[in-house]
Amino acid sequence: MIKLEEKSDSQLQDSISLERPWIIIVWDDPVNLMSYVTYVLMELFSFTQAKAHELMMKVHTEGKAVVATGSREEMERDVARLHEYGLWATLKHSDSTQ
Amino acid sequence: MSALADTPHSGFSRHGSDAYVANFSESESQVLINLVEQIIELLGERCDSDSDDPLVAMVGITSHDSPPDDEVLLRLLPNAYGDQVAASEFRRYTESTLRAKKSAHALIVRENVKSSTDGFIELDRKGANAWLGAINDVRLALGVRLNLTASGSQELETLAADDPLRGVYAVYRWLGWIQQSLIEAFMEDAL
Repeated sequence: MIKLEEKSDSQLQDSISLERPWIIIVWDDPVNLMSYVTYVLMELFSFTQAKAHELMMKVHTEGKAVVATGSREEMERDVARLHEYGLWATLKHSDSTQ
Repeated sequence: MSALADTPHSGFSRHGSDAYVANFSESESQVLINLVEQIIELLGERCDSDSDDPLVAMVGITSHDSPPDDEVLLRLLPNAYGDQVAASEFRRYTESTLRAKKSAHALIVRENVKSSTDGFIELDRKGANAWLGAINDVRLALGVRLNLTASGSQELETLAADDPLRGVYAVYRWLGWIQQSLIEAFMEDAL
């Protein structure tokens, strides 16, 4: 896992964190194995197996789950990585209706 | 091909700290090569042939900003936003990279299987990750062709013996089984 470098400008970081966060939603689909979804979430977000399993079950039972929150740039990067591994993921503003 | 579902398969198992091994029969190897080549070909159909600007090509901006018409390609290269304008913008800057990564995964599987003379495959963690991605892409593609829905696959379980989809479904399940064996081998690390 690549970690973002420490932001040198903490004020900039503060102003970003005050903005409405962006979220990644993973949607249920009929193909992806439950074990595979758990595995990908562990690999990409460094979740524990228990946390990844919990999110996977939420996707499975409720049809979708928010798996990550952050800046738009970070969320776009992570959605691209989820797509690389074939998960059905989208991002949006946390208060957007779309 | 439907015989694949009826014979016991040896999936991946873990050997040592960073080796994942499997043995594939000649027919299984052929099926694997054939399927990943189809993915490579499909992704290649959407390559950026009309990008004249070398800078545009270099930074990975694609000429495509609309989603693929082909249902399989759309599943492999999905929209990142519900909003169509944002989805198009994102696709323009990222789709060619995504295609390159998926092709790279498929090429690794192809090379591994082709270079094995006896069907024996040994992967390190990185190679195994590429296999997982590539096999998943094939399963996604077959899932679209099989018209799988969230409600399940009961209809596919009871297909007539002469239904051509029966063989496709058998391969689809076989690939799921290979994938599952790799994931279980990985999970030993987590225990």
